[in-house]
Amino acid sequence: MARLVLLFAAATLAALALQTMLPYWLPLGPFVPDLVLILAVDLGMRHHSAIAALMAFVMGYAIDAFSGTQIGLNAFMITLVFLLAYELSTQLLVTNVIVGVVAVFVGVIIKDLGSIAISSGLAGLTGNPALMRTLFGQAAVSALLAPLVFAAMARGKKVLGLLATGRREDNKSGRRWLT
Amino acid sequence: MNSSFLWRNRVVLTSGLLLLLSAHMLTTGVRPRDQAARPNEILMGVLSPVQSSSSHLVEAAHDFWHDYIALVQVQRENQKLRAELAKFQNERARLTELEIENRHLSELLGLREALGMRAIAANVIGSDATGLSRTLILGAGSRDGVRAGMAVLSNEGVVGKLIAVSPTSSRVLLIDDHNAALDAFDQRSRVRGIVAGVVDDGLTMKYVGRTADVRPGDSVVTSGLDGTFPRGLLIGEISRVERQGPGLFVNVLVAPAVDFRRLEQVLVVIEPPPRVVAQDQG
Repeated sequence: MARLVLLFAAATLAALALQTMLPYWLPLGPFVPDLVLILAVDLGMRHHSAIAALMAFVMGYAIDAFSGTQIGLNAFMITLVFLLAYELSTQLLVTNVIVGVVAVFVGVIIKDLGSIAISSGLAGLTGNPALMRTLFGQAAVSALLAPLVFAAMARGKKVLGLLATGRREDNKSGRRWLT
Repeated sequence: MNSSFLWRNRVVLTSGLLLLLSAHMLTTGVRPRDQAARPNEILMGVLSPVQSSSSHLVEAAHDFWHDYIALVQVQRENQKLRAELAKFQNERARLTELEIENRHLSELLGLREALGMRAIAANVIGSDATGLSRTLILGAGSRDGVRAGMAVLSNEGVVGKLIAVSPTSSRVLLIDDHNAALDAFDQRSRVRGIVAGVVDDGLTMKYVGRTADVRPGDSVVTSGLDGTFPRGLLIGEISRVERQGPGLFVNVLVAPAVDFRRLEQVLVVIEPPPRVVAQDQG
């Protein structure tokens, strides 16, 4: 478990560094990929433990250091996305990359809508056509990058001797994560 | 039985508790400058060397791309000369970069002298971690004398306000963030309003009455009443005034004077601005 925590801590730091550097150097506009959310979805779908939930919370709390004005906002939304990814994976027979990509797409939209609703109230969600373009753009960019991040994390886990078979942590029935 | 229930639902229960904890942090209003945000300051401090060095690395890669990759097709006999040329081009690019930086800093120095207030220049080393919020990370922190709440300016106009400071870096909330708001007035007609950010849609000037004399092209400047920004600094220009629909106020859209995506150096005002008393400007 300690190796998993270290892996996700390193991945989160790298993701945060990228997320804060990329928009400054590339003309991404508001379409910044939410790499930390992809990590949270990976955690929720593959690692069914209380420590994983705690890790998701800490990852969200780390985003709060580099985004927005309210501490706890991203911690809340990332934990929520982790919980939704976990629930989704417990309901499905197969949790493959496509399910992960869909979870990331929906997760980004939920997180962004929730963040705006919490920080600006429901008024922040209405009367702004540019908002939907931003949300869907960011969700699409994140979903496109999700398979790469999943593959990188699978590789990292394999190198560290975690989940070498690609199965879910609590998988008793042999259901596989198809990467 | 109970322990089995707890064990089976450990993920949901832990997540629920953590959601409650973060909701508690949100409702009690923990702000980036509070004591509870200390771990975040440490994290900012941990990442700021990475961001600074990445920033230099990207600049070097950018120079490399322009000075060397373009020369790959050069014939063999010209390689030595080309290498010499590349070296001089690299040197020139470096000097040009220094000249640009020097010009920016000179402009900021001019602005500082015009303001007549103590201020320091800071480099922009990173952007917001998400696409929705508008913040920038600066390479100056509490060791340089900056504190949360200080005004950040550029030679083009108002940039934002510092919201979190670590010893080596700080974070500025840009005026076009949807959580930002500052007191301002139309420079021509002296009509006052609150300039606030709109998600991915620039700036809007709120609470301007339907009969107020505001026109596209008018400059919008700070009033100095918020105690953060000195009076009379340029925020932007009114781009559109929409009077249709019901309501007490008009919809005034403001184009920011500063191109936030192209900021490289900014000025942090480390001295509070002189107190301004509100006058009837409507």
